Amino acid sequence: MQRRFGDQEVDICIVGAGAAGGVLARDLARAGLKVVVLEAGPFWDPQQDFASDELSMQKLGWQETVLVAGNNPLKMGHNNTGRGVGGGTVHFTGVFLRFHESDFRVYSQDGVADDWPISYADLAPYYDRIEREIAVSGPKHFPWGPFAGPYPYPEREPLSANAVVFRQGCEKLGIKSAVTPLAILSAPFDGRPPCINRGFCNQGCLPNAKFSTLIQHIPQAIAAGAEVLPDCTVTQVEVDEKSRRVTGVIFVHDGTEYRQPAKIVILANFVVQMPRLLLNSATPAFPDGLANSSGMVGKGIMPHSSYDVYAKFPEEIRLYKGTPVLATTQDFYETDHTRGFVRGYTLHAHGARPVAMATGISVGAGTWGPQLRRAMLDFNFYARITQVGEVLPSEKNTVTLADEKDDNGLPLPLVTFGYGDNDLKLIDHAVAKMKEILTAAGGKPEFVIPDTAHLMGGCRMGADPRTSVVDQWGRTHDHPNLYLAGAPIFVTGGGVNPTETVMALAARTADHLIQQARRGL
Amino acid sequence: MATKSHYPHYNVLDAAEDWDPHTRKIVEARLLPLESVEHLTTAETKTLYSVVAALIDDDRSEILDYVVKHFDDTLGKRIGESQRKTGVPPQADLIRRTLSGLGKTARDNYGKPFPELTVDEQHTILGQLERGQIPADGIWMNLPQKEAFTKLLSLTVEAYYSHPKIWSEIGHGGPAYPRGYVRTGPGLVDPWEAQREE
Repeated sequence: MQRRFGDQEVDICIVGAGAAGGVLARDLARAGLKVVVLEAGPFWDPQQDFASDELSMQKLGWQETVLVAGNNPLKMGHNNTGRGVGGGTVHFTGVFLRFHESDFRVYSQDGVADDWPISYADLAPYYDRIEREIAVSGPKHFPWGPFAGPYPYPEREPLSANAVVFRQGCEKLGIKSAVTPLAILSAPFDGRPPCINRGFCNQGCLPNAKFSTLIQHIPQAIAAGAEVLPDCTVTQVEVDEKSRRVTGVIFVHDGTEYRQPAKIVILANFVVQMPRLLLNSATPAFPDGLANSSGMVGKGIMPHSSYDVYAKFPEEIRLYKGTPVLATTQDFYETDHTRGFVRGYTLHAHGARPVAMATGISVGAGTWGPQLRRAMLDFNFYARITQVGEVLPSEKNTVTLADEKDDNGLPLPLVTFGYGDNDLKLIDHAVAKMKEILTAAGGKPEFVIPDTAHLMGGCRMGADPRTSVVDQWGRTHDHPNLYLAGAPIFVTGGGVNPTETVMALAARTADHLIQQARRGL
Repeated sequence: MATKSHYPHYNVLDAAEDWDPHTRKIVEARLLPLESVEHLTTAETKTLYSVVAALIDDDRSEILDYVVKHFDDTLGKRIGESQRKTGVPPQADLIRRTLSGLGKTARDNYGKPFPELTVDEQHTILGQLERGQIPADGIWMNLPQKEAFTKLLSLTVEAYYSHPKIWSEIGHGGPAYPRGYVRTGPGLVDPWEAQREE
């Protein structure tokens, strides 16, 4: 394998080239630091590797086996985890929304979970910067949360029929809706064309109209001097037991083991593999794994509840057409005590292609045989709404190590998840609301699909080293030069798609490290 | 619920020349007849054809060929299965044991191999599997039946609804690159899309 820095110590070694890793690699390389990024999956070439096809593009999800357990075992892979350079940004829907102020102070406001060690104001400049940097398209006025718009690029048009009926249903019920802010271009930007409404955002964008770190931050990082090594699985973070400083990582490429020494190691390898790697890196001095003096590594993982409701309409909707998510409401985002639960959710009009809908109504809703076949003959007459609901953190929801091992001899991760009471009440409310909207628009709700989306937590931030894994900058409390980035460090999950917050946090960590580097790493 | 296609004259493949070559290659390969299988045994293959036909309510062999091929490819897949519940065997094992269990249950209950049962009899056994009601002895011992049913259904459905003939039947526009869609609002249809006939 060609390695520019070989066994030489670099400034920064980043594990994982997804949403967080891409931002960090680019910002730190541009600051003149020597950066190596190790990515377990391939370096995709959209024109050669992507296709307008659901089945063959399942490969964009993390396929290595994750064991699942609990009352509500999670669906993994494409549902939440990306594989390859770009990570989840390659297959996400492009929904680009900020957290609200209340998301950072859930304990103060609602008496549940915990507050973040930072506030909305700490992230606001990074939200601004990221939105400009990738030319987010969105409305002139956004009706919810602290950011009212305007977005850098005009909102997307035309809307799909699915988005139009969603907005009609909302309007009849007095629910506010908006065109969704998206990391998808509405006009040319940086040599890339606007969206052509192909509709395969979850299968990897072929025209490059949708942002991903694969096509934006990683190439910029490489241009700034970073080395990005694909197909390299990190198996261990090495630590000097006396100084508690980490010294680099061990990784496997094509069956051969290599070592990458680094002054700073940043793990950006998401909610399942990050705790797994920390736990698998245990040494005699750190028998419970690295960064784990609090015992919190792998605890408090949170998906979003993401139930879908399909309703049949008398006229064609054609769910396959256009960008999947084009209309949204956050009218149910904040706590409303009359509802009997705390926190809330976002609703999106969400398109679907045949495999997604047929899998949803069969595996998800128990339809098969003639019922399935007949329902799918009416594929074009269905509309769909999906929920992104907040799930409160619980120490019972965990990533731990299983007895079973992978090809490198390392224990597989075991992901255990079950909803709590508040989560289930929130889901009931959201499902009823989705049905109301579809009915108001003239549809007949027929299928409710239980599902989740995204994953957060498992290495949470906090001011107190006894109850959290990293500080507000993502630096582990236990190891002065080991940082964690991305969704794992979330304290709570919000009721909204997490990618923009992942990237804003990563940009904030990058700024912090650049300041540090001026004083010497 | 519809019992026949709203688009009897639509063929998604008519537009195949407008697709990007990579997508076209992937989709057109699904039309090839299945001449041989690499991982399934002859007995497994026979049972599997009947199982997927019952699950999807379609016995057209030219479409089932691709569904069976998808199972065969899955049995040879090394990378992993994204998620597996604790206590459930790895997917190749799960699929194989379930096919052999269905054959045994068919013989025990009806005295015939699974493919020779009536569709109703096949549905009865598959319904028992779905609800976890097949007596858990012999080959079914320690085999999680609901998980087995879900695995068979999920692989069947994802392959069946990836077949271009099925896209034509349900009026799916299929791959739309580099062309995209121009008319997307309610009631609007690009000229090359499926036109509804009632």
